Amino acid sequence: MPVRKHKELITLRTRTLRTKTSVCLLAAAAVIGGGAGLVAHQSMAQNAAVSTRVLKVATRRMTESQYRHAIGDILGPQIVINARFEPEKREEGLLALGAQDMLVSTSGLEQYFALAQSVADQALDEKNRDKVVDCKPADATKMDQACATAFVEKYGELLFRRPLTGAEKAARLTTISTGVTATGDFYQGLKLGLASMLVAPEFLFRIEVAEPDPAARGKHRLDGFTKAQRLSYLFWDTTPDAELLAAAKSGALHTKDGLQTQIARLSTSPKLADGARAFFTDMLQLDQYDGLTKDPATYPKFSQAVADAGKEQTLKTVVDMLVTKNRDYREIFSSNDTFINRDLAAIYDVPYPSKAPWTPYTFSKETGRAGILTQVSFLSLFSHPGASSPTKRGVKLLEIFMCEPTPEPPPDVDFSKVQALEKGTVRVRLLDHMENEGCASCHERSDPPGLALEHFDSAAQLRTMENGTLIDVSAELDGQKFSGAQGLAQLLHDDSRIPACLVRNVFAYGIGRAPDETEYAYLTAQEAVFAKAGYKLPALMAQIASTDQFFRVKMPEGVSGPAKVASARTSSFQGAVR
Amino acid sequence: MSTLFNRRSLLRGALGGGAVVMGLPALDAFLDGNGMAYADGAKLPTRFGTYFWGLGLTDTAAGTRWVPSKIGADYEITPELESIRALKHKVSVLSGFRVIGDGRPNIVHWSGHASILSGVSPQVDKKFDGPSFDTTISDAVSQGSRFKALHVSANGKTVSYSTRTGASFATPETSPIELYTRLFGDGFQDPNSDNWKPDPTIMLRQSILSAVKDQRMALLAGAGAADKVKLDQYFSSIRELENQLALGLQRPEKCEACVVPTSPEDKARSTAVDVINANTKAMGKLLAMGLACNQTKVFNFVHTPGSSDTYEAGTSKTYHQITHDEPTDAKLGYQPETSKMAGMVMAAFGDFLTEMDSIKEGDGTLLDRSLIFGFSDTGYAKIHSIDNIPMLIAGGANGRHKAGQHIATKGEPVTRASLTAIQMAGVSTGEFGQGAMRTSRPISELMA
Repeated sequence: MPVRKHKELITLRTRTLRTKTSVCLLAAAAVIGGGAGLVAHQSMAQNAAVSTRVLKVATRRMTESQYRHAIGDILGPQIVINARFEPEKREEGLLALGAQDMLVSTSGLEQYFALAQSVADQALDEKNRDKVVDCKPADATKMDQACATAFVEKYGELLFRRPLTGAEKAARLTTISTGVTATGDFYQGLKLGLASMLVAPEFLFRIEVAEPDPAARGKHRLDGFTKAQRLSYLFWDTTPDAELLAAAKSGALHTKDGLQTQIARLSTSPKLADGARAFFTDMLQLDQYDGLTKDPATYPKFSQAVADAGKEQTLKTVVDMLVTKNRDYREIFSSNDTFINRDLAAIYDVPYPSKAPWTPYTFSKETGRAGILTQVSFLSLFSHPGASSPTKRGVKLLEIFMCEPTPEPPPDVDFSKVQALEKGTVRVRLLDHMENEGCASCHERSDPPGLALEHFDSAAQLRTMENGTLIDVSAELDGQKFSGAQGLAQLLHDDSRIPACLVRNVFAYGIGRAPDETEYAYLTAQEAVFAKAGYKLPALMAQIASTDQFFRVKMPEGVSGPAKVASARTSSFQGAVR
Repeated sequence: MSTLFNRRSLLRGALGGGAVVMGLPALDAFLDGNGMAYADGAKLPTRFGTYFWGLGLTDTAAGTRWVPSKIGADYEITPELESIRALKHKVSVLSGFRVIGDGRPNIVHWSGHASILSGVSPQVDKKFDGPSFDTTISDAVSQGSRFKALHVSANGKTVSYSTRTGASFATPETSPIELYTRLFGDGFQDPNSDNWKPDPTIMLRQSILSAVKDQRMALLAGAGAADKVKLDQYFSSIRELENQLALGLQRPEKCEACVVPTSPEDKARSTAVDVINANTKAMGKLLAMGLACNQTKVFNFVHTPGSSDTYEAGTSKTYHQITHDEPTDAKLGYQPETSKMAGMVMAAFGDFLTEMDSIKEGDGTLLDRSLIFGFSDTGYAKIHSIDNIPMLIAGGANGRHKAGQHIATKGEPVTRASLTAIQMAGVSTGEFGQGAMRTSRPISELMA
């Protein structure tokens, strides 16, 4: 297979999507595409009534880490958050894209409800209340309207990421007053009011709002508070702070200078480490680490402690390398600089050279290891409980780092040639796939990188033999021959699809949806800037956040009321069934 | 809410002064028509549950390891159904049903159960094209119970196939301790307690939700269609939570079979089949008691997911790999390892039913009051078949199920089984499914 060029990477993605997306959805998207001067005349007429309204263009359930960061930032880091969050779902490589499908189920709401009360309880207990509440009630056994109003206004704005409406404020004041009357304690009332904001959909969902654009008649722009949200979640994985909210309120975020001031502040803050951590947890699929287990008889050294440490190792490595040291992104494949703890030292079979819980560590070339792909996280996550899996590793490598998803296997595979694993290495078994036409087209791409990593077992331990046979780690991909993890790392380091995929992921993560066709040229241009600047992550985030495309309004289906889009969807669905 | 209010401050305020006026739903209305008269066995509620296991059962050209040869009552026990032997008079076996794709692809380890649950072969992986039918049942029968439905996953992972939108799936309890806490932890009221008192903090908790609810219309205004669905679901969850709180203010009806269990131990997680089976037994026991204590009437249980990565401890291959890689033994005519794993997976189903059957209720058992719909993602897993997907309907459904039969068809749509389950669970729905799988014909032989 020839080496694909930059542009084709994206085309490939489109093609994959097209087969997966219903005809009706594409039709709808074409009609309401919006932005970049592409709105069709017809839809402008249909949406005439919409153009003067404030619209909600996206609603995404907050992630667990966003929740934790928001509570820590707004109410104090001492607050203990002990709850089970609802699972998230990955779409097109990112949880950030699946977030738009996520609901709050009853069991999820039970958790948020209990958590809201626990957080309110901690924030307003006797130790903390003076730090949290700026005013003192005239009589702590009675309702103090002024103090309660100030409290609701301050925390409402921080939690909802915008000032509260009159009705939202009034509803909380009623709850507070009810509580004070019932308990004879002003702070108990405040706890109820705070809890009711913490369990509100306006807090649990990130709601994005578009307003009529004063500069372009009939068009919408994201409002200042929504822009503040996008910036804050991209750079810091948390809710906008007071300064960002002020820049939203004053209109500064709609100006070039005002926006640049905030981007400069966000991208140089130590909190960028939180943002990078959240981004890589998502992109590297480290969320899947929770609940990862191995067969204890086969891998006695692997434990929950190793699993937890493996995830932490990778996050520490990427944050240190890409944020703290501002190194070239591609070095995550080639550099052996990392961090280990005692549990990991045992798995990696190296002495632990420190008294601290974690220590910087650089693997020698002789260990055969090479960067992130030879860390416990990648090797054990994409393996079976009792064996390694070159296919899983290869599929995930292509998906995560090159944005090239592998289709599901065909249903009618002839497995008659496939042999049991008791003898020889896994390579022999996989070669059988190559002889089968239906299998070969995918396996000849996914398996070679995986086979090059076969010196590492399912628990990431070094080995050279499998079932008494020497493991061969030579491979060939896109016409290039290489050997072992270090050969693979060099290949990836030099492959232009690697930085292109990061650019796509940072953009998609930041805007919360997959890029569409109108944005491909933009992405190609961003790749060039990224390359020219030396493949630096903070600069890439700042560069993307500085573009108009980062704040582009994409109208969702059905904002114009009970519109034709909805009925079109039903009829094409029926059509597709037939 | 542990320490937000102490009882004394509340009694002084809320209940003493009578200053708090909070809406209490008319609870009597909930109970109408649901016959919570526990002394009379006939009026005990019907419970409904789904039970899912991954990777089907063995069914090769040379022979089958699960389809009984005898049709109708008193079918013979086949090797992979060994675990239901003791209860076979309470279990009906359905064979020969298939997914009809209407030109849609067979999405491996997905199309089968997606079709059974939603009535239509899905267009894409990881999504259904409609809600799963358990939600129809829970909407119809859940009144008066604390939870509308409970979702359990015994394999340690958050797997559920229950969905209202097709895109977002329910959040299951994934360990015995989690399930115990949800059922019998905070908020549980022992229905048989003699000194029941309403929890005075409930009214204050209700006031937290009322402020949220007030904003519903404002929140939905200007939102897109998909976002409206999402936000509406949030408000449905709010209503369910309010119902839970309201029930907490009402003395619960006595449940003769309810014996509050003790907390299970927290065990190490693993996807090994012996661990999953032990979880299934432990969680089945808790769930059965949750039903007997009227905490819910509907549940969805996942033993192992579609492309199951369970394995026999100490071996290198997962069940899923074995189903594909193991050659068919020429002499036996089937894959011996695969069939052995299938038997182990089904052992858990037998244990699960035994737990349900061990609780005496009225003149029978909890299983007699229940309808449990057992099913898988594939027929014969080696070839990802969506023909002859094994389905087992267990329990008496309060007299509605003529149990203990083998129903064999030649390629009828799986949706006929789904419709049968919906109707026997007590929902008056006339048809189910779309396209070629649309049906208005339940399996009448099974219905009393």
